[in-house]
Amino acid sequence: MVSLLEASKNTLDVEALRQHFPILTRQVHGKPLVYLDNAATTQRPQMVIDAVRHFYEYSNANVHRGVHQLSVEASEAFEEARRSLAQFINASLDREVVFTRGTTEAINLVANSFLHDIQPGDEIVITHMEHHANIVPWQLLCQKTGAVLRVAPINELGELDLAAFEQLLGERTRLVGIVHVSNALGTVNPIERVCQAAQARGVPVLVDGAQATPHLKVDVQALGCDFYCLSGHKMYGPTGIGALWAKAEHLEKMPPWQGGGEMIQHVSFSETTFNDIPHKFEAGTPNVAGAIGLKAAIDFIDSIGIDLISAHEQALLSYAHAELSAVPGLRVIGQAPEKGPVISFVVEGAHANDVGTIVDHFGVALRTGHHCAMPAMQFFGVSATARVSFAMYNQIAEIDVFMRALDHAMGMLRS
Amino acid sequence: MSLDALYQRLILEHNRNPHNYGPLPEATHRGRAQDALCGDDLEMALVVDGDQIVAAKFEGEACAVTKASASLLTNWLVGQAPSKLQGHFEAFKTLLENPDHEPIDDLGDLNLLQPVGAFPARRGNASLPWIATLRAVGQISSSDCLPVR
Repeated sequence: MVSLLEASKNTLDVEALRQHFPILTRQVHGKPLVYLDNAATTQRPQMVIDAVRHFYEYSNANVHRGVHQLSVEASEAFEEARRSLAQFINASLDREVVFTRGTTEAINLVANSFLHDIQPGDEIVITHMEHHANIVPWQLLCQKTGAVLRVAPINELGELDLAAFEQLLGERTRLVGIVHVSNALGTVNPIERVCQAAQARGVPVLVDGAQATPHLKVDVQALGCDFYCLSGHKMYGPTGIGALWAKAEHLEKMPPWQGGGEMIQHVSFSETTFNDIPHKFEAGTPNVAGAIGLKAAIDFIDSIGIDLISAHEQALLSYAHAELSAVPGLRVIGQAPEKGPVISFVVEGAHANDVGTIVDHFGVALRTGHHCAMPAMQFFGVSATARVSFAMYNQIAEIDVFMRALDHAMGMLRS
Repeated sequence: MSLDALYQRLILEHNRNPHNYGPLPEATHRGRAQDALCGDDLEMALVVDGDQIVAAKFEGEACAVTKASASLLTNWLVGQAPSKLQGHFEAFKTLLENPDHEPIDDLGDLNLLQPVGAFPARRGNASLPWIATLRAVGQISSSDCLPVR
């Protein structure tokens, strides 16, 4: 187990922490890698890599399907991962956690199953800052059924307009879909207040938590939501694994959305009875190694402490924000007072794409483009931004490298 | 490949002062192309007379590579035959994908964009104005999306 807190109980020993991430030792274009694209995906600690590898080397078997030793071990490890994730987000029951490929699949599951009986004229309310994953599944559903998608506005800082949001809630509202932490703007939404407002009108709330779980303590019961979606790879785990957490009362009533093995109890040509939750929603062989890797990622985060991670990342955010704000002609897109460790920006006379290519040659990996949130970009009147996003292993010195690279890029493009 | 080869003076100059940028109200053909990855969005407008392009302009939001490519392409397009553009685009892609390829005479100044090919993530930018142009003259359908990656 990692022991990162020995130097100090109150601050993160980032140098020691970095030793756990093999990829951080590599060079890019002859320069040390400065990885600032963590909102796209985080890097994996050795523990996660080892857990996945150990599973394939030692216990690989299908789950819930055999009496042999390997299948028993694989099934136990898979269910242990579910328990671990349930604890991580403070779910009251393990069976409220359904493994999915990621946040996107979790949202699609809810769209296709929970809202299977949505009627023409029924409404789904989302916000203007959503990731495409929390827009398109609802749009597809609306196209198919005649339901209506309503969009709550945001303000110039990138905050949700709560009053306008509440006004959108009505008799026909079937669901609210809202992002916890915006990947494009960084905004942390007031989920508790959103849930209270929705609950007062009997409207269930789905939260896209992809960018929240790596950065802040998530307690699904305290938030008061009905559905919470997350992705393993955003929180130091493998790709292709994520989860839907949903209140058991919802899952029990929801019909399956994919059919196949695992999700059944009995099949004949005249009738099929479905498995209990959560297995009812896990048709086919799941990503067993992914779930085991995700458990290792959770153990890693827990061994450090999410509060300590959060404090470190907020310090990086403040430093980078101050540095970037001092650059003439640079505009930070998304200035909500409460933000995750994400800064989107545009620079006069230097397109994000060109900035991205130039800083890459200084070893700096950042994201450019619309960040899968085109409506949010449209709100701010930009087609693309550059975005830096931080993780537990980033350092102030890396922000300095990035700032020098950015300065070079601006010099080159504006000269 | 060094950054200077990509951001050579010529590309930077065309980025800052693109040729043929602006509206072309008398256009007979228009085509739009977007790069979903980076947010580039541009429209090519052409005046076509018989099988000859007599005027070409472009508008839109784009990065330096796309803008420089559109600037050079609109210069080059005047006098070209729409029916032969697809073949020229294939030649242009060959140029991007093979850094050691000899200059291709038919492509004129477009040969200057060859260094972009050394940056695979940016080949799509150099190709985007071509896609818009081919759409304008109906040589690819609007649903085709084929930037070179």
